[in-house]
Amino acid sequence: MTLTTGTSVVSLRGIRKEFGDHVAVRDVSLEVPAGEVVAIIGPSGSGKSTLLRCINLLERPEAGRIEVLGQAVEPQGGVSAAELAKLRRGVGMVFQSFNLFPHLTVLRNISLPQERVLGRSRKEADARSLQLLERVGLADKGASYPSRCSGGQQQRVAIARALALDPQVMLFDEPTSALDPELGLEVLAVMRELAADGMTMVVVTHEIQFAADVADRVVVMADGAIIEQGPPSVVLTAPTVERTKKFLRAVMDR
Amino acid sequence: MNDSLLSSWVEWTPALLDGLWTSLQLTGGSLAIGIPGGLLLALLMSGRSRVVKAVAIVLVEIGRGMPALVVLQLVYFGLPSAGLTFGPFLAATAALALTTAAYTSEILRAGLQAVPAGEVEAAAALGMSHRDSLRYVVIPQGVRVAIPALLGFSIQIFQATSLTFTIAVPELLGQAYSIGAATFRYLDVLVLAGLVYLAVVLPAGSITRLLERRMGRHL
Ligand SMILES: Nc1ncnc2c1ncn2[C@@H]1O[C@H](COP(=O)(O)OP(=O)(O)OP(=O)(O)O)[C@@H](O)[C@H]1O
Ligand SMILES: [Mg+2]
Repeated sequence: MTLTTGTSVVSLRGIRKEFGDHVAVRDVSLEVPAGEVVAIIGPSGSGKSTLLRCINLLERPEAGRIEVLGQAVEPQGGVSAAELAKLRRGVGMVFQSFNLFPHLTVLRNISLPQERVLGRSRKEADARSLQLLERVGLADKGASYPSRCSGGQQQRVAIARALALDPQVMLFDEPTSALDPELGLEVLAVMRELAADGMTMVVVTHEIQFAADVADRVVVMADGAIIEQGPPSVVLTAPTVERTKKFLRAVMDR
Repeated sequence: MNDSLLSSWVEWTPALLDGLWTSLQLTGGSLAIGIPGGLLLALLMSGRSRVVKAVAIVLVEIGRGMPALVVLQLVYFGLPSAGLTFGPFLAATAALALTTAAYTSEILRAGLQAVPAGEVEAAAALGMSHRDSLRYVVIPQGVRVAIPALLGFSIQIFQATSLTFTIAVPELLGQAYSIGAATFRYLDVLVLAGLVYLAVVLPAGSITRLLERRMGRHL
Protein backbone atom coordinates (compact mmCIF):
# COMPACT_ATOMS: atom_id res chain seq x y z
CA MET A 1 0.00 0.00 0.00
CA THR A 2 1.41 3.39 -0.91
CA LEU A 3 0.34 6.67 0.50
CA THR A 4 0.99 10.01 -1.03
CA THR A 5 2.19 12.66 1.33
CA GLY A 6 -0.67 14.70 2.63
CA THR A 7 -3.05 11.78 3.19
CA SER A 8 -3.85 11.14 6.82
CA VAL A 9 -2.52 7.83 8.05
CA VAL A 10 -4.29 8.26 11.36
CA SER A 11 -7.37 10.36 11.82
CA LEU A 12 -9.06 10.66 15.20
CA ARG A 13 -12.33 12.56 15.57
CA GLY A 14 -13.93 13.42 18.87
CA ILE A 15 -12.34 10.59 20.82
CA ARG A 16 -13.66 10.19 24.33
CA LYS A 17 -12.50 7.53 26.75
CA GLU A 18 -13.82 7.04 30.26
CA PHE A 19 -12.67 4.77 33.05
CA GLY A 20 -15.65 4.52 35.37
CA ASP A 21 -16.66 8.11 36.00
CA HIS A 22 -13.15 9.40 35.25
CA VAL A 23 -12.77 10.91 31.78
CA ALA A 24 -9.25 10.05 30.59
CA VAL A 25 -9.58 11.50 27.07
CA ARG A 26 -12.19 14.12 26.28
CA ASP A 27 -13.21 14.72 22.67
CA VAL A 28 -9.77 14.71 21.12
CA SER A 29 -9.24 15.02 17.38
CA LEU A 30 -5.89 14.43 15.73
CA GLU A 31 -4.75 14.02 12.15
CA VAL A 32 -1.42 12.41 11.37
CA PRO A 33 -0.38 12.78 7.75
CA ALA A 34 1.93 10.23 6.10
CA GLY A 35 5.55 10.68 7.03
CA GLU A 36 4.86 12.97 9.96
CA VAL A 37 6.42 12.46 13.39
CA VAL A 38 4.11 13.62 16.15
CA ALA A 39 5.36 13.87 19.72
CA ILE A 40 2.73 13.86 22.46
CA ILE A 41 3.88 15.41 25.72
CA GLY A 42 2.11 16.44 28.90
CA PRO A 43 1.92 15.80 32.60
CA SER A 44 1.37 12.35 34.09
CA GLY A 45 -2.24 11.23 33.91
CA SER A 46 -3.12 13.66 31.13
CA GLY A 47 -4.34 10.82 28.89
CA LYS A 48 -1.39 10.47 26.49
CA SER A 49 -1.14 6.70 26.71
CA THR A 50 -4.89 6.29 26.61
CA LEU A 51 -5.15 8.35 23.44
CA LEU A 52 -2.32 6.40 21.81
CA ARG A 53 -3.93 3.11 22.77
CA CYS A 54 -7.21 4.20 21.22
CA ILE A 55 -5.50 4.36 17.82
CA ASN A 56 -5.05 0.56 17.65
CA LEU A 57 -8.07 -0.07 19.85
CA LEU A 58 -6.21 -1.45 22.85
CA GLU A 59 -8.67 0.90 24.50
CA ARG A 60 -12.22 1.17 23.13
CA PRO A 61 -13.34 4.79 23.19
CA GLU A 62 -16.85 5.59 24.37
CA ALA A 63 -17.30 8.06 21.54
CA GLY A 64 -15.54 9.16 18.40
CA ARG A 65 -14.35 7.87 15.07
CA ILE A 66 -11.00 6.31 14.27
CA GLU A 67 -9.65 6.09 10.76
CA VAL A 68 -6.40 4.29 10.08
CA LEU A 69 -5.09 4.00 6.53
CA GLY A 70 -8.50 4.81 5.16
CA GLN A 71 -10.31 2.19 7.26
CA ALA A 72 -12.85 3.83 9.55
CA VAL A 73 -14.24 2.28 12.71
CA GLU A 74 -16.73 3.55 15.20
CA PRO A 75 -15.81 1.45 18.21
CA GLN A 76 -18.95 2.16 20.20
CA GLY A 77 -20.89 0.36 17.45
CA GLY A 78 -18.80 -2.79 17.95
CA VAL A 79 -15.74 -3.90 16.01
CA SER A 80 -15.48 -7.32 14.38
CA ALA A 81 -12.37 -9.45 14.81
CA ALA A 82 -11.66 -9.03 11.10
CA GLU A 83 -11.86 -5.22 11.29
CA LEU A 84 -9.63 -5.24 14.33
CA ALA A 85 -7.05 -7.46 12.63
CA LYS A 86 -7.05 -5.27 9.54
CA LEU A 87 -6.64 -2.09 11.54
CA ARG A 88 -3.82 -3.45 13.67
CA ARG A 89 -1.99 -4.86 10.69
CA GLY A 90 -1.06 -1.36 9.59
CA VAL A 91 -0.11 -0.11 13.04
CA GLY A 92 3.01 -1.05 14.99
CA MET A 93 3.31 -0.36 18.69
CA VAL A 94 6.20 -0.18 21.12
CA PHE A 95 5.55 -0.18 24.86
CA GLN A 96 7.39 1.30 27.80
CA SER A 97 7.92 -2.20 29.23
CA PHE A 98 9.10 -3.84 25.93
CA ASN A 99 6.74 -6.80 26.38
CA LEU A 100 8.88 -9.30 24.52
CA PHE A 101 7.81 -12.93 24.83
CA PRO A 102 10.36 -14.26 27.35
CA HIS A 103 9.97 -17.93 26.44
CA LEU A 104 11.01 -17.29 22.83
CA THR A 105 14.41 -16.35 21.44
CA VAL A 106 14.90 -12.88 20.03
CA LEU A 107 14.60 -14.27 16.51
CA ARG A 108 11.37 -16.16 17.30
CA ASN A 109 9.93 -13.04 18.92
CA ILE A 110 10.28 -11.26 15.59
CA SER A 111 9.43 -14.16 13.28
CA LEU A 112 6.39 -15.65 15.01
CA PRO A 113 4.05 -12.66 14.47
CA GLN A 114 5.07 -12.51 10.80
CA GLU A 115 4.15 -16.16 10.39
CA ARG A 116 0.86 -15.89 12.24
CA VAL A 117 -0.30 -12.47 11.06
CA LEU A 118 1.12 -12.19 7.55
CA GLY A 119 1.33 -15.91 6.76
CA ARG A 120 5.02 -15.73 5.88
CA SER A 121 6.94 -18.98 5.84
CA ARG A 122 9.43 -19.52 8.62
CA LYS A 123 12.28 -19.01 6.18
CA GLU A 124 10.91 -15.73 4.83
CA ALA A 125 10.13 -14.53 8.32
CA ASP A 126 13.58 -15.36 9.67
CA ALA A 127 15.26 -13.63 6.75
CA ARG A 128 13.24 -10.49 7.41
CA SER A 129 13.92 -10.74 11.16
CA LEU A 130 17.67 -10.96 10.63
CA GLN A 131 17.56 -8.00 8.31
CA LEU A 132 15.74 -5.95 10.98
CA LEU A 133 18.01 -7.15 13.78
CA GLU A 134 20.90 -5.83 11.74
CA ARG A 135 19.10 -2.56 11.25
CA VAL A 136 18.66 -2.09 15.02
CA GLY A 137 22.27 -3.14 15.65
CA LEU A 138 21.57 -6.57 17.14
CA ALA A 139 22.57 -8.95 14.35
CA ASP A 140 24.34 -11.23 16.85
CA LYS A 141 21.43 -11.50 19.32
CA GLY A 142 18.99 -13.66 17.37
CA ALA A 143 19.61 -16.83 19.36
CA SER A 144 19.54 -15.11 22.77
CA TYR A 145 16.56 -15.06 25.08
CA PRO A 146 15.23 -11.63 26.06
CA SER A 147 16.38 -12.18 29.64
CA ARG A 148 19.96 -12.19 28.32
CA CYS A 149 19.50 -8.76 26.71
CA SER A 150 19.80 -5.34 28.31
CA GLY A 151 16.71 -3.16 28.48
CA GLY A 152 17.93 -1.08 25.56
CA GLN A 153 18.51 -4.20 23.50
CA GLN A 154 15.08 -5.57 24.42
CA GLN A 155 13.43 -2.36 23.34
CA ARG A 156 15.27 -2.42 20.01
CA VAL A 157 14.09 -6.01 19.52
CA ALA A 158 10.55 -4.83 20.26
CA ILE A 159 10.93 -2.16 17.57
CA ALA A 160 12.23 -4.76 15.11
CA ARG A 161 9.30 -7.05 16.00
CA ALA A 162 6.81 -4.32 15.19
CA LEU A 163 8.62 -3.24 12.00
CA ALA A 164 8.71 -6.83 10.75
CA LEU A 165 4.98 -6.60 10.03
CA ASP A 166 5.60 -3.67 7.66
CA PRO A 167 3.38 -1.17 9.48
CA GLN A 168 2.45 2.15 7.92
CA VAL A 169 2.57 3.93 11.26
CA MET A 170 4.45 3.28 14.49
CA LEU A 171 3.13 4.16 17.94
CA PHE A 172 5.58 4.57 20.80
CA ASP A 173 4.49 4.87 24.42
CA GLU A 174 7.41 6.28 26.42
CA PRO A 175 9.84 3.80 24.86
CA THR A 176 12.81 5.00 26.92
CA SER A 177 11.18 5.66 30.30
CA ALA A 178 12.14 2.30 31.73
CA LEU A 179 15.77 2.65 30.62
CA ASP A 180 18.97 4.13 31.99
CA PRO A 181 19.88 7.24 30.01
CA GLU A 182 22.69 5.59 27.98
CA LEU A 183 20.47 2.68 27.04
CA GLY A 184 17.71 5.12 26.17
CA LEU A 185 20.07 6.79 23.71
CA GLU A 186 20.54 3.64 21.65
CA VAL A 187 16.77 3.28 21.38
CA LEU A 188 16.33 6.95 20.45
CA ALA A 189 19.02 6.53 17.79
CA VAL A 190 17.00 3.74 16.17
CA MET A 191 13.88 5.91 16.32
CA ARG A 192 15.70 8.84 14.74
CA GLU A 193 16.74 6.63 11.83
CA LEU A 194 13.22 5.39 11.45
CA ALA A 195 11.93 8.96 11.31
CA ALA A 196 14.62 9.89 8.81
CA ASP A 197 13.48 6.96 6.63
CA GLY A 198 10.05 8.57 6.47
CA MET A 199 8.09 6.39 8.90
CA THR A 200 4.91 7.95 10.21
CA MET A 201 5.26 8.01 13.99
CA VAL A 202 3.25 8.99 17.04
CA VAL A 203 5.52 9.14 20.07
CA VAL A 204 4.41 9.72 23.65
CA THR A 205 7.57 10.91 25.33
CA HIS A 206 9.15 12.79 28.17
CA GLU A 207 12.31 13.25 26.09
CA ILE A 208 11.92 16.92 25.22
CA GLN A 209 15.21 16.94 23.35
CA PHE A 210 14.08 14.06 21.16
CA ALA A 211 10.80 15.85 20.48
CA ALA A 212 12.69 19.02 19.60
CA ASP A 213 15.06 17.23 17.22
CA VAL A 214 12.84 14.67 15.55
CA ALA A 215 9.18 15.67 15.78
CA ASP A 216 7.47 17.62 13.05
CA ARG A 217 4.74 18.51 15.46
CA VAL A 218 4.42 18.56 19.23
CA VAL A 219 1.04 17.95 20.81
CA VAL A 220 0.59 18.96 24.44
CA MET A 221 -2.09 17.21 26.49
CA ALA A 222 -3.50 18.10 29.89
CA ASP A 223 -6.55 16.69 31.65
CA GLY A 224 -7.48 14.48 28.72
CA ALA A 225 -7.46 17.24 26.11
CA ILE A 226 -5.02 18.73 23.61
CA ILE A 227 -4.19 22.17 24.96
CA GLU A 228 -1.62 23.24 22.42
CA GLN A 229 0.09 21.93 19.31
CA GLY A 230 2.48 23.08 16.63
CA PRO A 231 6.05 22.78 15.40
CA PRO A 232 8.55 22.03 18.17
CA SER A 233 10.34 25.32 17.53
CA VAL A 234 7.17 27.11 18.61
CA VAL A 235 5.61 24.83 21.22
CA LEU A 236 8.81 23.96 23.04
CA THR A 237 10.46 27.36 22.98
CA ALA A 238 7.62 29.86 22.86
CA PRO A 239 4.48 28.16 24.13
CA THR A 240 1.40 30.33 24.38
CA VAL A 241 -0.63 28.31 26.86
CA GLU A 242 0.18 28.85 30.53
CA ARG A 243 -0.25 25.17 31.34
CA THR A 244 2.34 24.24 28.68
CA LYS A 245 4.84 26.71 30.09
CA LYS A 246 4.38 25.29 33.56
CA PHE A 247 4.82 21.72 32.30
CA LEU A 248 7.95 22.53 30.30
CA ARG A 249 9.49 24.36 33.28
CA ALA A 250 8.83 21.31 35.45
CA VAL A 251 10.45 19.00 32.87
CA MET A 252 13.51 21.25 32.45
CA ASP A 253 14.01 21.44 36.23
CA ARG A 254 14.34 17.68 36.47
CA MET B 1 12.99 -59.21 61.64
CA ASN B 2 13.47 -62.77 60.55
CA ASP B 3 14.20 -64.86 57.53
CA SER B 4 10.59 -65.81 57.00
CA LEU B 5 9.53 -62.16 56.63
CA LEU B 6 12.33 -61.40 54.20
CA SER B 7 11.71 -64.49 52.11
CA SER B 8 7.98 -63.75 52.04
CA TRP B 9 8.72 -60.23 50.86
CA VAL B 10 10.92 -61.62 48.12
CA GLU B 11 8.14 -64.01 47.20
CA TRP B 12 5.48 -61.24 47.11
CA THR B 13 7.55 -58.68 45.29
CA PRO B 14 6.73 -59.76 41.71
CA ALA B 15 2.99 -59.53 42.38
CA LEU B 16 3.39 -56.14 44.01
CA LEU B 17 5.51 -54.87 41.11
CA ASP B 18 2.75 -56.00 38.77
CA GLY B 19 0.41 -53.96 40.91
CA LEU B 20 2.79 -50.99 40.83
CA TRP B 21 2.83 -51.17 37.05
CA THR B 22 -0.97 -51.02 37.04
CA SER B 23 -0.89 -48.07 39.47
CA LEU B 24 1.56 -46.23 37.22
CA GLN B 25 -0.56 -46.93 34.15
CA LEU B 26 -3.61 -45.61 35.98
CA THR B 27 -1.68 -42.52 37.01
CA GLY B 28 -0.40 -41.96 33.49
CA GLY B 29 -3.84 -42.45 31.95
CA SER B 30 -5.58 -40.14 34.42
CA LEU B 31 -2.99 -37.41 33.90
CA ALA B 32 -2.94 -37.79 30.12
CA ILE B 33 -6.70 -37.25 29.99
CA GLY B 34 -7.14 -35.08 33.08
CA ILE B 35 -4.49 -32.40 32.52
CA PRO B 36 -5.67 -31.41 29.03
CA GLY B 37 -9.16 -31.45 30.54
CA GLY B 38 -7.92 -29.16 33.29
CA LEU B 39 -6.38 -26.82 30.73
CA LEU B 40 -9.64 -26.74 28.82
CA LEU B 41 -11.56 -25.94 32.01
CA ALA B 42 -9.02 -23.24 32.90
CA LEU B 43 -9.42 -21.64 29.48
CA LEU B 44 -13.21 -21.82 29.69
CA MET B 45 -13.14 -20.26 33.15
CA SER B 46 -11.07 -17.33 31.92
CA GLY B 47 -13.10 -17.01 28.71
CA ARG B 48 -15.59 -14.35 27.79
CA SER B 49 -18.90 -16.17 27.75
CA ARG B 50 -20.63 -16.05 31.13
CA VAL B 51 -22.62 -19.23 30.53
CA VAL B 52 -19.55 -21.23 29.54
CA LYS B 53 -17.68 -19.82 32.51
CA ALA B 54 -20.48 -20.82 34.88
CA VAL B 55 -20.64 -24.36 33.50
CA ALA B 56 -16.87 -24.75 33.87
CA ILE B 57 -16.93 -23.44 37.43
CA VAL B 58 -19.73 -25.84 38.39
CA LEU B 59 -17.82 -28.79 36.91
CA VAL B 60 -14.68 -27.81 38.79
CA GLU B 61 -16.50 -27.32 42.07
CA ILE B 62 -18.17 -30.72 41.76
CA GLY B 63 -14.89 -32.38 40.82
CA ARG B 64 -13.08 -30.82 43.76
CA GLY B 65 -15.89 -31.04 46.21
CA MET B 66 -16.59 -34.73 45.79
CA PRO B 67 -14.06 -37.10 47.37
CA ALA B 68 -12.19 -39.11 44.74
CA LEU B 69 -13.52 -42.29 46.31
CA VAL B 70 -17.11 -41.15 45.74
CA VAL B 71 -16.43 -40.18 42.11
CA LEU B 72 -14.86 -43.57 41.61
CA GLN B 73 -17.83 -45.45 43.04
CA LEU B 74 -20.29 -43.29 41.11
CA VAL B 75 -18.55 -44.00 37.82
CA TYR B 76 -18.17 -47.70 38.49
CA PHE B 77 -21.51 -48.50 40.11
CA GLY B 78 -23.61 -45.54 39.01
CA LEU B 79 -23.01 -45.31 35.27
CA PRO B 80 -24.02 -48.89 34.47
CA SER B 81 -27.52 -48.00 35.64
CA ALA B 82 -27.44 -45.29 32.97
CA GLY B 83 -26.50 -47.95 30.44
CA LEU B 84 -22.73 -47.22 30.46
CA THR B 85 -20.56 -50.05 31.66
CA PHE B 86 -16.80 -49.81 32.09
CA GLY B 87 -14.33 -52.39 33.26
CA PRO B 88 -12.66 -51.53 36.56
CA PHE B 89 -9.51 -50.15 34.95
CA LEU B 90 -11.39 -47.84 32.56
CA ALA B 91 -13.77 -46.72 35.28
CA ALA B 92 -10.85 -45.95 37.56
CA THR B 93 -9.05 -44.01 34.83
CA ALA B 94 -12.17 -42.02 34.00
CA ALA B 95 -12.88 -41.19 37.64
CA LEU B 96 -9.33 -40.14 38.44
CA ALA B 97 -9.15 -38.15 35.21
CA LEU B 98 -12.23 -36.20 36.31
CA THR B 99 -10.66 -35.43 39.66
CA THR B 100 -7.40 -34.50 37.92
CA ALA B 101 -9.17 -32.15 35.53
CA ALA B 102 -10.94 -30.38 38.37
CA TYR B 103 -7.83 -29.88 40.49
CA THR B 104 -5.36 -29.07 37.72
CA SER B 105 -7.74 -26.51 36.23
CA GLU B 106 -7.06 -24.33 39.27
CA ILE B 107 -3.31 -24.91 39.04
CA LEU B 108 -3.31 -24.10 35.33
CA ARG B 109 -5.56 -21.10 35.75
CA ALA B 110 -3.09 -19.62 38.21
CA GLY B 111 -0.29 -20.35 35.73
CA LEU B 112 -2.14 -18.65 32.87
CA GLN B 113 -2.85 -15.63 35.03
CA ALA B 114 0.84 -15.34 35.86
CA VAL B 115 1.58 -14.38 32.23
CA PRO B 116 2.00 -10.58 32.23
CA ALA B 117 -0.90 -8.66 30.71
CA GLY B 118 1.61 -6.55 28.77
CA GLU B 119 2.60 -9.56 26.68
CA VAL B 120 -1.00 -10.29 25.81
CA GLU B 121 -1.41 -6.65 24.81
CA ALA B 122 1.73 -6.81 22.71
CA ALA B 123 0.36 -9.87 20.91
CA ALA B 124 -2.91 -8.02 20.29
CA ALA B 125 -1.10 -4.91 19.08
CA LEU B 126 0.88 -7.07 16.67
CA GLY B 127 -2.43 -8.20 15.21
CA MET B 128 -2.28 -11.74 16.54
CA SER B 129 -5.68 -13.33 17.05
CA HIS B 130 -6.92 -14.11 20.56
CA ARG B 131 -6.46 -17.76 19.72
CA ASP B 132 -2.87 -17.35 18.56
CA SER B 133 -2.09 -15.26 21.59
CA LEU B 134 -3.32 -18.09 23.80
CA ARG B 135 -1.59 -20.75 21.78
CA TYR B 136 1.81 -19.15 21.36
CA VAL B 137 2.15 -16.72 24.25
CA VAL B 138 -0.13 -17.52 27.18
CA ILE B 139 -0.42 -21.32 27.25
CA PRO B 140 3.27 -22.18 26.79
CA GLN B 141 4.28 -19.85 29.58
CA GLY B 142 1.31 -20.58 31.83
CA VAL B 143 1.84 -24.33 31.60
CA ARG B 144 5.55 -23.91 32.28
CA VAL B 145 4.78 -21.94 35.42
CA ALA B 146 2.36 -24.67 36.49
CA ILE B 147 4.69 -27.64 35.96
CA PRO B 148 6.06 -27.96 39.52
CA ALA B 149 2.56 -27.81 41.00
CA LEU B 150 1.32 -30.28 38.38
CA LEU B 151 4.10 -32.70 39.33
CA GLY B 152 3.17 -32.32 42.97
CA PHE B 153 -0.41 -33.11 42.08
CA SER B 154 0.67 -36.10 39.98
CA ILE B 155 2.24 -37.61 43.08
CA GLN B 156 -1.06 -37.22 44.90
CA ILE B 157 -2.92 -38.90 42.06
CA PHE B 158 -0.44 -41.75 42.13
CA GLN B 159 -1.26 -42.19 45.81
CA ALA B 160 -4.97 -41.87 45.07
CA THR B 161 -4.79 -44.85 42.66
CA SER B 162 -4.78 -46.96 45.83
CA LEU B 163 -8.46 -46.07 46.23
CA THR B 164 -9.26 -48.11 43.15
CA PHE B 165 -8.71 -51.38 45.00
CA THR B 166 -12.28 -50.79 46.18
CA ILE B 167 -13.52 -51.53 42.66
CA ALA B 168 -11.15 -54.48 42.27
CA VAL B 169 -8.46 -52.87 40.14
CA PRO B 170 -5.37 -55.05 40.62
CA GLU B 171 -3.09 -52.14 41.42
CA LEU B 172 -0.45 -52.09 44.13
CA LEU B 173 -2.74 -51.95 47.15
CA GLY B 174 -5.19 -54.36 45.51
CA GLN B 175 -2.40 -56.88 44.99
CA ALA B 176 -1.31 -56.45 48.60
CA TYR B 177 -4.86 -57.14 49.79
CA SER B 178 -5.07 -60.27 47.67
CA ILE B 179 -1.88 -61.55 49.20
CA GLY B 180 -3.12 -60.60 52.64
CA ALA B 181 -6.38 -62.45 52.05
CA ALA B 182 -4.50 -65.56 50.93
CA THR B 183 -1.90 -65.56 53.71
CA PHE B 184 -3.64 -63.67 56.53
CA ARG B 185 -0.43 -61.66 56.87
CA TYR B 186 -2.02 -58.27 56.11
CA LEU B 187 0.41 -56.28 58.19
CA ASP B 188 3.53 -57.81 56.63
CA VAL B 189 2.38 -57.31 53.08
CA LEU B 190 1.01 -53.80 53.71
CA VAL B 191 4.37 -52.71 55.11
CA LEU B 192 6.03 -53.90 51.91
CA ALA B 193 3.39 -52.15 49.78
CA GLY B 194 3.94 -48.96 51.79
CA LEU B 195 7.67 -49.19 51.13
CA VAL B 196 7.04 -49.57 47.40
CA TYR B 197 4.82 -46.43 47.43
CA LEU B 198 7.56 -44.56 49.27
CA ALA B 199 10.20 -45.76 46.81
CA VAL B 200 8.25 -44.00 44.04
CA VAL B 201 6.98 -40.95 45.89
CA LEU B 202 10.16 -39.82 47.62
CA PRO B 203 12.36 -39.58 44.49
CA ALA B 204 9.47 -38.04 42.55
CA GLY B 205 9.17 -35.41 45.27
CA SER B 206 12.84 -34.49 45.05
CA ILE B 207 12.67 -34.28 41.26
CA THR B 208 9.71 -31.92 41.62
CA ARG B 209 11.64 -29.67 43.97
CA LEU B 210 14.67 -29.73 41.69
CA LEU B 211 12.54 -28.71 38.70
CA GLU B 212 10.89 -26.00 40.73
CA ARG B 213 14.29 -24.43 41.31
CA ARG B 214 15.34 -24.73 37.67
CA MET B 215 12.06 -23.46 36.19
CA GLY B 216 12.73 -19.76 36.72
CA ARG B 217 14.90 -19.46 33.62
CA HIS B 218 13.70 -17.27 30.76
CA LEU B 219 10.59 -16.35 32.68
N1 LIG C 1 -7.11 0.86 32.75
C1 LIG C 1 -7.41 1.97 33.45
N2 LIG C 1 -8.35 1.92 34.42
C2 LIG C 1 -8.68 3.01 35.13
N3 LIG C 1 -8.12 4.23 34.96
C3 LIG C 1 -7.18 4.35 34.01
C4 LIG C 1 -6.76 3.22 33.22
N4 LIG C 1 -5.81 3.64 32.36
C5 LIG C 1 -5.63 4.95 32.62
N5 LIG C 1 -6.45 5.38 33.60
C6 LIG C 1 -6.55 6.75 34.11
O1 LIG C 1 -6.73 7.61 33.01
C7 LIG C 1 -5.97 8.79 33.16
C8 LIG C 1 -5.05 8.94 31.98
O2 LIG C 1 -4.10 7.91 32.03
P1 LIG C 1 -2.93 7.76 30.97
O3 LIG C 1 -2.20 6.53 31.32
O4 LIG C 1 -3.47 7.87 29.61
O5 LIG C 1 -2.02 9.03 31.29
P2 LIG C 1 -0.60 9.41 30.72
O6 LIG C 1 -0.72 10.78 30.19
O7 LIG C 1 -0.13 8.37 29.79
O8 LIG C 1 0.29 9.42 32.03
P3 LIG C 1 1.80 8.97 32.26
O9 LIG C 1 2.67 10.10 31.78
O10 LIG C 1 1.88 8.79 33.74
O11 LIG C 1 2.01 7.71 31.52
C9 LIG C 1 -5.25 8.66 34.48
O12 LIG C 1 -5.99 9.37 35.45
C10 LIG C 1 -5.26 7.20 34.75
O13 LIG C 1 -5.28 6.95 36.14
MG1 LIG D 1 1.42 6.92 29.86
